[in-house]
Amino acid sequence: MASTMASSANASSNKKSSAPSSSTNNANVIKRLQSELMTLMLSPTPGISAFPSDTDMTRWSATVLGPSSTPYENLTFKLSLAYPSNYPYAPPEVLFTTPVYHPNVDMAGRICLDILKPAGKGGEGAWSAVLNTGSVLLSIQSLLGEPNNSSPLNGEAALLWDRDQVEYKKKVLARHQEPAELEANGS
Amino acid sequence: MEESHYLNCKSRAQNYNPPVDLRLLDYVSIYDNNLMCAICRCPFVDPVVLSECDHVFCRDCIRQSWNSNTSYTPLGPRGDCPTCRTPAKLGPRSATSKILVNLVDELVVHCPKRDDGCKAEVRRCEVQDHVNIYCGYTVIECTDDDCTLPVRRKDAAQGCLHFGVSCLSCHKELQKWKLEAHWRSECADRRVHCDMCKSSVFYRDLEAHRKEACPAMSVSCPGKALGCTSRSKRGHAELHAKSCTFAKLAPVLLKQQERLDEQEAAQKEMSRKLEVLEGGFQNMQGILYPPGVETSQRSADNSLTPSLQERLFGSGTAESTTPTGTAAGYDWTESAVDEDAVSPAETMHTAFSSATSPRQRAAPLPPGPRPADLPEPFSSDFDIASPTGFPPPATNGGPYASPLHHLLSMHESLRDEMTRVSSALSELDGRHSMQILNENLRTREEISYLAAQTAGLQRQVHWLTSSALQRQQGRSPTPGASSSGAGGAMMDAGAGAGVEAAVGAVSTAATALRGAARMVNVGGNGSGSGTGTGMRRGTSEEGRTKL
Ligand SMILES: [Zn+2]
Ligand SMILES: [Zn+2]
Ligand SMILES: [Zn+2]
Ligand SMILES: [Zn+2]
Ligand SMILES: [Zn+2]
Ligand SMILES: [Zn+2]
Ligand SMILES: [Zn+2]
Repeated sequence: MASTMASSANASSNKKSSAPSSSTNNANVIKRLQSELMTLMLSPTPGISAFPSDTDMTRWSATVLGPSSTPYENLTFKLSLAYPSNYPYAPPEVLFTTPVYHPNVDMAGRICLDILKPAGKGGEGAWSAVLNTGSVLLSIQSLLGEPNNSSPLNGEAALLWDRDQVEYKKKVLARHQEPAELEANGS
Repeated sequence: MEESHYLNCKSRAQNYNPPVDLRLLDYVSIYDNNLMCAICRCPFVDPVVLSECDHVFCRDCIRQSWNSNTSYTPLGPRGDCPTCRTPAKLGPRSATSKILVNLVDELVVHCPKRDDGCKAEVRRCEVQDHVNIYCGYTVIECTDDDCTLPVRRKDAAQGCLHFGVSCLSCHKELQKWKLEAHWRSECADRRVHCDMCKSSVFYRDLEAHRKEACPAMSVSCPGKALGCTSRSKRGHAELHAKSCTFAKLAPVLLKQQERLDEQEAAQKEMSRKLEVLEGGFQNMQGILYPPGVETSQRSADNSLTPSLQERLFGSGTAESTTPTGTAAGYDWTESAVDEDAVSPAETMHTAFSSATSPRQRAAPLPPGPRPADLPEPFSSDFDIASPTGFPPPATNGGPYASPLHHLLSMHESLRDEMTRVSSALSELDGRHSMQILNENLRTREEISYLAAQTAGLQRQVHWLTSSALQRQQGRSPTPGASSSGAGGAMMDAGAGAGVEAAVGAVSTAATALRGAARMVNVGGNGSGSGTGTGMRRGTSEEGRTKL
């Protein structure tokens, strides 16, 4: 009886004082994400922005500006980030919501990037708990300009990158949709 | 007994109030970034220094980081430093970590029960004690001996509060000891202060108030689309709109923009139509004036008119300037006067003789001295009042005051006739094209009818041929016919060839007919008014090449 009352008391009082359980973990994740958001707002990095969704603090949407003097120059890319409940010990799941033509991005927007894979498994993952939203977005931005052609998700793009930059840029522009178009298309 | 009761209470209170998670605390003042753990992004909780690289993390943070990506190792927790990836292991607490502990312990935090109403600010190392012993908002067991339900420490002195009441505002049923918390943070009908305008509104209406009604909320000018960058508080927005030209113009311009878009669309449509019409017109012109038929006459007309007008106009100004004699025009006038006796008549003469049309030739220029009242015929009055109708030059030449006069009237009447002729011509043309269109339609119908007939014929012949062939094949294998087989086969072959030739003829006829139909189609589409047979042949030639 007392224990049920205790749990109801916990639920009614703020989450902050609840027991170390999955909900605390979640509170810790939210706390950390709030801290990250604060940092992003107070010292914004040019070309990068991220904001949580209205309803779920663990789902963010972000925009990344294509790096200059690359085929992605002046293009804006939207991404979605989903943080697991054991963040920051596991990496967020990052997807491009803008269609991107890139050797390391597939048609569904999945990104092949070492820091987005959990570390220790097979050695190719390089996620670290000290990484954060800002550093992840920066890595993705630089990946746009410096693709890793040794393990491409899009083989055609990898070949074309090395062979014909003009044609590559054409393909990039053909695939790209500005955020406004994307919304207009209802996707 | 008293003490044991207290201890009992305390242990149960701790049940209700789990240990404070230091990472969820809100800090009163801004702390140094160097005190922040890179993993949990909070001031260190039990910091450890990795002796391999001197990076510092909370003990729990680094442990969990290593646990989540490495399996259990018998040598104790070890892994790569999350920041620099140097292999490291947890060592004993060092002097550095003691300093860090002291620094983070001094940080002042809000009581974790702040949202429930506790306003206490305490040092972080004392926050657990505050919650456990002092905080009035900590939940403890009811002081009533028969009741084991939780109650907040500050309410414990009021006796047992575990009876049901209902909220006066929202009528929600709840226990008395929870009522205050309900009022503070849950009740939808509680009144809250809008932090913009300080007015008191219902919590449930707060969002709507901020969006729509709050006079302190800043809104942008209605003329924002036109370039007014002003933002003002809602209360002042109307004042601004009164003075802002953009705001006044906005609805008008919006409507204008709409109409402009409409018009643009309509204009595009029109221009497309015009293009089509122009194309049609050019086709028509090409048919009306095929190169080499009427060109010479037309060019003569064209060349005559400007040259004549030019000359008339030129000499007219020359004469009219004579009386005034302006300084600038003096030399020119002088020379004109010098040649007075011959030059204008001469120019007229050359003008007409240079024209190639025979009709102009028919009006001979009577040579003679130029009369003194020369300016008169060139006045504009004369042009308008000139006699209408075509005067035959041979008979009616007499009544005219001068040959020039005569010529001009002749020219006038010629021009009139030309317009008459051209209008008649265009009328004729229209009629002609209609006729041809009708004829075309009829012809096409006839041809399609013929084609259908031919196709039927073709089918019949085909059927006949096939039946004949079948009969032939049925006859040849009979043994009795072997003696006369050669002759019969020959005859059959001959008949077959004949039938085949007939079929071929019919099918060629059919293709010819189809070709003709297409020809007519081409003629009809291309112009709708093919006049001469030569023209039609031309288009049919075109049609054939298309085939
Ligand atoms: Zn930490
Ligand atoms: Zn390190
Ligand atoms: Zn307190
Ligand atoms: Zn009670
Ligand atoms: Zn209520
Ligand atoms: Zn307000
Ligand atoms: Zn304005």
